[in-house]
Amino acid sequence: MKIKCELIIERDGKEVYRGESKSFLKNFGIVLAGMLKNTGAGDARKFVVVTNTAGASANVYVEDSFGTDVRYFGVMGFYAGDNDDSYGILVGSGSTPVSPSDYALASKIPHGTGSGQLDYDTHNVLSGYGDTSGYVEIYRSFVNKSGGDVVVREVGLVARSIDGAVPSDVRYLIARDLLPSPITVKPLGSLTVKYRISLAIR
Amino acid sequence: MLRGTLEIMVKDRDGRVVKYGRHEMKSFLNNFLKFLELFFKSNGQVDISIVDTGGTSRPARGSRYNAIRENSFMGGAAPDNDDSYGIIVGSGTTTVNLNQYALASKIAHGTGSGQLDYNPTSLDDFGVDTSVSPPVYRFRLVRSFINASGVAVTINEVGVAVRYRRDTDDFKFLIARDVLPISYTVPAGGSATVAVTVEVELG
Repeated sequence: MKIKCELIIERDGKEVYRGESKSFLKNFGIVLAGMLKNTGAGDARKFVVVTNTAGASANVYVEDSFGTDVRYFGVMGFYAGDNDDSYGILVGSGSTPVSPSDYALASKIPHGTGSGQLDYDTHNVLSGYGDTSGYVEIYRSFVNKSGGDVVVREVGLVARSIDGAVPSDVRYLIARDLLPSPITVKPLGSLTVKYRISLAIR
Repeated sequence: MLRGTLEIMVKDRDGRVVKYGRHEMKSFLNNFLKFLELFFKSNGQVDISIVDTGGTSRPARGSRYNAIRENSFMGGAAPDNDDSYGIIVGSGTTTVNLNQYALASKIAHGTGSGQLDYNPTSLDDFGVDTSVSPPVYRFRLVRSFINASGVAVTINEVGVAVRYRRDTDDFKFLIARDVLPISYTVPAGGSATVAVTVEVELG
């Protein structure tokens, strides 16, 4: 059985693309293996090294112990809030082919209402867990308030890791997909991007 | 996106390989998706419930802000003699369903009848392999089991359980379970080595 990831895109509420996301990246493998490689005791600081969205090496802490200090801790968070284009689901206009070592979208469309920008909404998560199939889905909507067309050619998933002990607050790209054909978002139009991960007993 | 294979090698008391098999991993469980869900929801104090290996629903949180002594999510490197997580084996043959949280009949660590001596679980991180298409990120969990019980012990199922810690919370969650298509009998004085290779398909 393979765990599948589907990429689903809706424009103005209507599905315009559904296909398998084939483009998870090296960063995801590093962090998943890094968590499993440790004991899970959580009693010492353990980290792996990823490439952050700025292209620099950065530590992602997979275990830590804070004692009596009040600190943040998270390994792989995606639930970026409204207007935050630094992590979670991002969209871009670039068309550079995907490489396993990609660390950023080729050309991210920033949050905003200016020309070439999209208004980034918050995230939502759906899930369902049956005896023979299960899924979890994260999605985010984008609204074009720029006054002109905005063309989307790539989408990505950026994780946030935070460990207040260092301090370390890292954004790292774990998936990037090029769309088979560009999607134009008209003024006041919306785009919703969904990553749906599922498994099933065949 | 992600797939796995299982390899099992059985040796007799003289170290000779008496059985080897390689099988597609068929049964990642819903608990694995629930970990993704807690990561997806991470950036707040949001709990989701995951059933631990004892059958109790536990709150799990993808991010934390507090004076928390211990923090981990999916530790897999169980130490020597610890049969509560890492790669675990069993004798059960109950059909898999995705909501299972434990092996049907775990073979306990020990040297008594029907038991196996659990060595540590370790992880080999092979990194990116671009020689295959599509390229993959590959890593492998490995654990050996020694049969010091004096009688043959038969393995019919293999699982992977992970350890989650958040302060005093210390839970183990089963994220994969496979019933093997054939039985593997470990003779008295022999051993079994189980490897779980995971490949993440890359762009």
